Amino acid sequence: MTTHLGVMILFAACVSIVFGTLLRDVPRDQLRLAGRLFTGLVAGAYVLGWVMFFAFG
Amino acid sequence: MPPSGKPAVRADKTDIDSLPRANPTVVGVAAWLIPGAGHFLVGQVRKGAIFFVVLSAMFVIGLAFGGRLFPFQMSEPLVFLAAAAEWAIALPRIGAAILGHGQGNVVAITYEYGNTFLIVSGLLNALIVLDAVDYARGRKDV
Repeated sequence: MTTHLGVMILFAACVSIVFGTLLRDVPRDQLRLAGRLFTGLVAGAYVLGWVMFFAFG
Repeated sequence: MPPSGKPAVRADKTDIDSLPRANPTVVGVAAWLIPGAGHFLVGQVRKGAIFFVVLSAMFVIGLAFGGRLFPFQMSEPLVFLAAAAEWAIALPRIGAAILGHGQGNVVAITYEYGNTFLIVSGLLNALIVLDAVDYARGRKDV
């Protein structure tokens, strides 16, 4: 779990759950928003990682 | 139902508005001290439980990763801001300091991750405090 990817996934999961719960009232909407946030955070970090690799690596 | 045939929505809303609300100051302080406590006080028990579990977990993970509990150090603005963020989640911050955790293991590979978890748990709790106070003030429906 202490790999960069593992910690980033754990962090994204925590932040997504909090924002999903905070910004929506219905459980289904909360899950949907948390899922979208989680996907966006993980995919965004993954893409940004590769961009930095090719730009500065 | 009134003679006009329309439902008495106005009367229902008045009934809801007349219900006793938790004191916003008490809610704010409770939410600041314990993550999720403010939402418990305003009747949002499920949200409160989720916030308590997730933010407590983030704080503990931050400590386990070797994160540091930053002091208020005016000469270092970023350290000062990090300290302010960590103090936004009060009781876990105080408890960890009393128990001697959060010295910060700068040689640990997870040190910066630990700091990130600690700081973000405080910042998220600041948002949660504001949300709980909004519920207590009636700006959001319970």
